[in-house]
Amino acid sequence: MFNLPETHFNFGGDEYIYAEISRDMRIESNFKALAVTDELRKREIPGIIDIVSSNSSYLVRYNPDIISARDLLDYLKEIDLTKSDPTKLHFSVRIVEIPAWYDDPVSKEFSYRFKNRHPSPDLSDFEFVMKVNGFTDKEAFIKCHSETPYLITMVGFLPGTAWHFPLGLQPNEIIQAPKYNSPRTETPERGIGLGGAFNVIYPVNGPGSYQLIGRSAIPVVDQNNQLEALKETSFLARPGDIWKYRPINESQYNKISSEVKTGKYRYKMKEIDLSPLEYAEKGKQYVRELMGDF
Amino acid sequence: MIEVKDPGLWTTVQDMGRVGKYHLGIPPSGAADKYSFLIGNLLVGNPVEFAALEMTLIGGEFEFHKNLIIALTGAPMEAYLNHQPLSLWETHYVKEGDILTIKACPIGVKSYLCISGGVNVPDVLGSKSTYELSQIGGFCGRKLIAGDRIPINEPLPGASKQIGKFTPLEFVPSFHHFQELRVMMGMTGYLMNDHALKTFLNSEWSVSHESNRVAYRYKGPKVSFTEQHPPFGAGNSFSNVVDIAYPIGSVLFTNEEELIVLQNDATTGGGFITIGTVISQDLDLIAQSRPLSKCRFIAVTIDQAMQARAERTKKLDALVHLIK
Repeated sequence: MFNLPETHFNFGGDEYIYAEISRDMRIESNFKALAVTDELRKREIPGIIDIVSSNSSYLVRYNPDIISARDLLDYLKEIDLTKSDPTKLHFSVRIVEIPAWYDDPVSKEFSYRFKNRHPSPDLSDFEFVMKVNGFTDKEAFIKCHSETPYLITMVGFLPGTAWHFPLGLQPNEIIQAPKYNSPRTETPERGIGLGGAFNVIYPVNGPGSYQLIGRSAIPVVDQNNQLEALKETSFLARPGDIWKYRPINESQYNKISSEVKTGKYRYKMKEIDLSPLEYAEKGKQYVRELMGDF
Repeated sequence: MIEVKDPGLWTTVQDMGRVGKYHLGIPPSGAADKYSFLIGNLLVGNPVEFAALEMTLIGGEFEFHKNLIIALTGAPMEAYLNHQPLSLWETHYVKEGDILTIKACPIGVKSYLCISGGVNVPDVLGSKSTYELSQIGGFCGRKLIAGDRIPINEPLPGASKQIGKFTPLEFVPSFHHFQELRVMMGMTGYLMNDHALKTFLNSEWSVSHESNRVAYRYKGPKVSFTEQHPPFGAGNSFSNVVDIAYPIGSVLFTNEEELIVLQNDATTGGGFITIGTVISQDLDLIAQSRPLSKCRFIAVTIDQAMQARAERTKKLDALVHLIK
């Protein structure tokens, strides 16, 4: 599983180096990105400004007045090739439950408002995602989407946004959807988006290009630090965490929303150890063991 | 303290930006035209990273509640101190009760009001810059509104020696309706064919109205994407890749008729074809380009990018020597 092709490096202008582990998305590429960026962070190299682990790549921002671009490139290549064995990784992560109202009216309204940018303007985003994945029954789609645990493979876009990718599935089992042709200028806060094989929850109202399939009842960012679970960093998402959706209806959505507003809501979470090696060896079976009865 | 009588069109507190938080999805923010911003700080005797006000298209009206030393730089906004015309690119002494009125600029977009001592708002995640989308930093995380009272630090000792200092003409940027932007090609541009890359480089692009501190959008000719299968996980469109972390300055093609260049308040990642990155020096030019103005992209190598950087450093060093 960890037999990956050679990482492809690129200068991004005068301040960035972009490293592409693979063009395709695979869980093993993500584990490698985490391993390299972990190693790089540990070294605390002066002149490196930002280290970003992404889905199947990573990005380093540096100050070329301190480190030469070519020297840094050689240095990164060495770490990438020899010092980043994902099988040695062991993550202490959390499984987090996300109560989700699928096909909600707000997502529908945004689908229609931005339909001129949509690859299929006559359908709502939800209907479109069902159709391109061959679903005719709404409940079957919701069951399929919410049964799968998702690994947080990248954090970014807007503060608090986390790309999450299904764990333990074969490529042909994964729900996928094209992105908007041109990004929406607005997206409802807590909207659940699906683009390519990735899911996101939009933390705040902002731009977006993923198909809106529902709405999370709980926030993923809390600037005011009212919620216990988000006190530490204000953000729910951490790379390597696992998110699991639980379908809810309108009245459950309203009940949870009001608990969130008063600061009473308690996130359902469980701490676990995640081993890339065991995932590589046991696949789906390992995911089942991890999830237990969560 | 200065009191905002009229906030203008879009005025925020900015400094040199927020570093080390990109992995959390927090973009650097910071002054959009760093060249003008740096000169403003140099004029008033500040360290270059001190916070200032960044104004967009129309400046606004401010009342000073303290004797201060100020400088206006950037796009040539028409400015008045107590109804008397006030020149840009030089330092001025202002007294308690003085009113500074800054109107529109005929060319360019961003102007800076730099004040000796700097704007005093709390550091958030290591910077005073405003990041509006997530309401982080700056003055209450937002653009200024009438009635805001902006705290200003005491002028630095010796700041009064800066009064009357000005920027020699050869250091003042000219703001054009046409720009050449240097770009380093690469990233995920392999999903576009040679013809499309040539079309990108050989055409004129026009700034669209949907442009701001997050991103500039451009309209131009239709480019065609390679009809190869998009990578797994990217989505079915030819403009999609597996989502990556975007450098600031990334040139993205979201579809065959629109390109986007990310600015300092960028969304930090996404899944559109990224064919290259505009070099950091030229982000200043983009920030000063108005809707409907035109540009062309010029491909450069890493050595040329470093040379551009070195030239600017040299220029700023020369200026420091002249105005200190």
